[in-house]
Amino acid sequence: MAEKILDVQGLETQFKTPDGIVHAVNGVSITLDEGETLGLVGESGCGKSVSMLSILRLIQSPPGQIVAGKAFFKGKDLLAMSNEEIRQVRGGQISMIFQDPMTSLNPVMNIGKQMAEPMLLHLGITPKEARERSIKLLESVGIPRAGERLKDYPHQYSGGMRQRVMIAMALSCNPQILIADEPTTALDVTIQAQIVDLVIRLRQELGMAIIWITHDLGVAASIANRIAVMYGGFIIEEASVRELYAHPTHPYTLGLLNSLPQIQRKGRQRLYSIEGMPPILLQTPRACPFAPRCRWVREKCWQQNPMLESIGDNHKVACWVDTTTGSER
Amino acid sequence: MTNYIIRRLLLVPVLLIGVTLIIFGMLQLLGPVERSALYVRDFPKNEKQIEGLIRKYGLDKSFFEQYWRWLNGVIDPGSGERQGGILYGDFGYSRTASQPVVDLVKERFPNTVDLALWTVYPMLSVGVWLGVKAAVNQNKFIDQAARMYSIIGTSFPTFVFGLLILMLLYAKLGWFMPGKMSDWVSKLIFSGQLKQYTHLLTIDALLNLRFDVFWDAMRHMIMPIITLSYINWATFVRVTRSSMLETLRQDYVVTARAKGLKENDVINKHARPNAMLPVVTMAGGSIVGLLGGVVITETVFNYPGIGKASADAAANLDVVTILGLAIFSGTILILSNLIVDIVYAFIDPRVRLA
Ligand SMILES: Nc1ncnc2c1ncn2[C@@H]1O[C@H](COP(=O)(O)OP(=O)(O)O)[C@@H](O)[C@H]1O
Ligand code: SF4
Ligand SMILES: [Mg+2]
Repeated sequence: MAEKILDVQGLETQFKTPDGIVHAVNGVSITLDEGETLGLVGESGCGKSVSMLSILRLIQSPPGQIVAGKAFFKGKDLLAMSNEEIRQVRGGQISMIFQDPMTSLNPVMNIGKQMAEPMLLHLGITPKEARERSIKLLESVGIPRAGERLKDYPHQYSGGMRQRVMIAMALSCNPQILIADEPTTALDVTIQAQIVDLVIRLRQELGMAIIWITHDLGVAASIANRIAVMYGGFIIEEASVRELYAHPTHPYTLGLLNSLPQIQRKGRQRLYSIEGMPPILLQTPRACPFAPRCRWVREKCWQQNPMLESIGDNHKVACWVDTTTGSER
Repeated sequence: MTNYIIRRLLLVPVLLIGVTLIIFGMLQLLGPVERSALYVRDFPKNEKQIEGLIRKYGLDKSFFEQYWRWLNGVIDPGSGERQGGILYGDFGYSRTASQPVVDLVKERFPNTVDLALWTVYPMLSVGVWLGVKAAVNQNKFIDQAARMYSIIGTSFPTFVFGLLILMLLYAKLGWFMPGKMSDWVSKLIFSGQLKQYTHLLTIDALLNLRFDVFWDAMRHMIMPIITLSYINWATFVRVTRSSMLETLRQDYVVTARAKGLKENDVINKHARPNAMLPVVTMAGGSIVGLLGGVVITETVFNYPGIGKASADAAANLDVVTILGLAIFSGTILILSNLIVDIVYAFIDPRVRLA
């Protein structure tokens, strides 16, 4: 088994708002092997971004606060590091790209300057070397005439091109982990596919581990080795892609799979969609967060929230019911 | 960029025509008889005289005819000389200042510029600095204090603040004084011993290496500078703070942090330049305000600038002077807006490269 490069344990992040405390992340534990790609899947607002931003301590505080947990990166707890230490990690060893390429680049700074910043910080190279490296990187992510385009500003690039710039910038310091927060959600479908292909190619060349956040199980399956499904600030199921598709177990995961158009459904598996709204995260959840929308729900689910437990080979699930039999575990 | 500037420059004459039309139009709200009173010192005794005046100045002609006469003047049939005509630089005679309006502007405007020059820097630098500090330390002490100040500063009347300053720094402590300069300085200027290169007293003093004169000029300007800064800080702090808070929530700020930049660099290199865009627009407005003459402040401190001249003219119903000064301020406004737009284009590539 490969070395664990990231080991997050019991991460909890909350936001203090005028309406009360928002329990955005409620004890998330995930691990990442070297060179592995983990897909983090769940509907909008379930805490995917907040949990990943928390790991790099990029949560805006106030109102956000990491209230519990550890995040070991190569054995060192990111959450306990000094500000100086975590800055060395950010953009150097762990880098991140974001959902909206239209807003994640500084509109009044040219691309060349923005590209150079992390390299000057982490690689200890000269501005001239950073420039040359920027050109190489931009070319490798498929930006034509990269040398001329360095002095251009973000608004002169299309959305897809900006996301390529973000990717090039994120990979400029040879990070061990790339966190991609829904990098294709804001792009149209053909560009989405190009970006996914680009990242897969770069992963082969550079060998970094990836956490790929998406609300689209299909996209996650096309790039990830393993998938963790989030709901209401919890991880509710986790398995390898193959295992998850072969034996999806959690009622929510089943719902996700069934709402995927490109999946061939087996005859015995009844088609159903997930009814109801995502949970409001204002109370400390005591019940299973999915209970209000779950068709397998029973008394126990309202009284106690199930823990994430192993049910087989690299397969974990948080549910009181074995959905294959319909009986309680 | 050059295109952009040319386009803006081409707009200037159009705007100027608009300004004069509006100002002249407002005057037309008065009837011919009322307007005839503006041309004489003492009101005529009988109606014949009034009618004579109305005919002489064409006050009953159509709007555009009168407008044209105002722009172009009238050729006197007897002497063949042109009378009036703002296109020829004749804005009429100022009753209150006992000199042509043009000379009044020439004399007063340098004083207003002198004051604006020394107000802009403290006004902008401290205002922006405090606004950024407040935003970065949202809800902490400095932020609370800045917000409190901003509320007081916007609601406390200028003239009350000015009078308080006057009482304290002039009447009680005697450190600074109202007016423009001491008698010995005006004698120096009158006798030609102080060469007037720019007509800005502080600058001329420095160019003449007369630091005593410079200090005298400053002692006369410090109270208005404090007053103007005090009012303008309030708005600058508020606008800078809210713009900065808005900017700090933007995705590119998270990107900057995610690169591993120091928080200072995140703020100074990424957030602040973006947050400055609305501040520049507002700074333009404030500078225009300063150059157009700050009526209340100049009046409180008896500072002989454009604002004081306007106040004197208004108090005496000296419409000719008010019209002339209004056109002057309008022109300043248009030109300053042009400069603001150009500065804006320099800091925002989306405008520059559009
Ligand atoms: N700055 C904030 N203030 C208050 N609540 C927040 C803030 N940021 C995120 N949240 C809440 O945290 C929850 C998780 O958000 P997020 O991680 O962005 O979801 P997603 O899975 O779509 O990435 C949401 O319910 C959201 O309302
Ligand atoms: S624990 Fe109960 S409510 Fe929650 S998903 Fe399982 S069956 Fe549904
Ligand atoms: Mg998100």
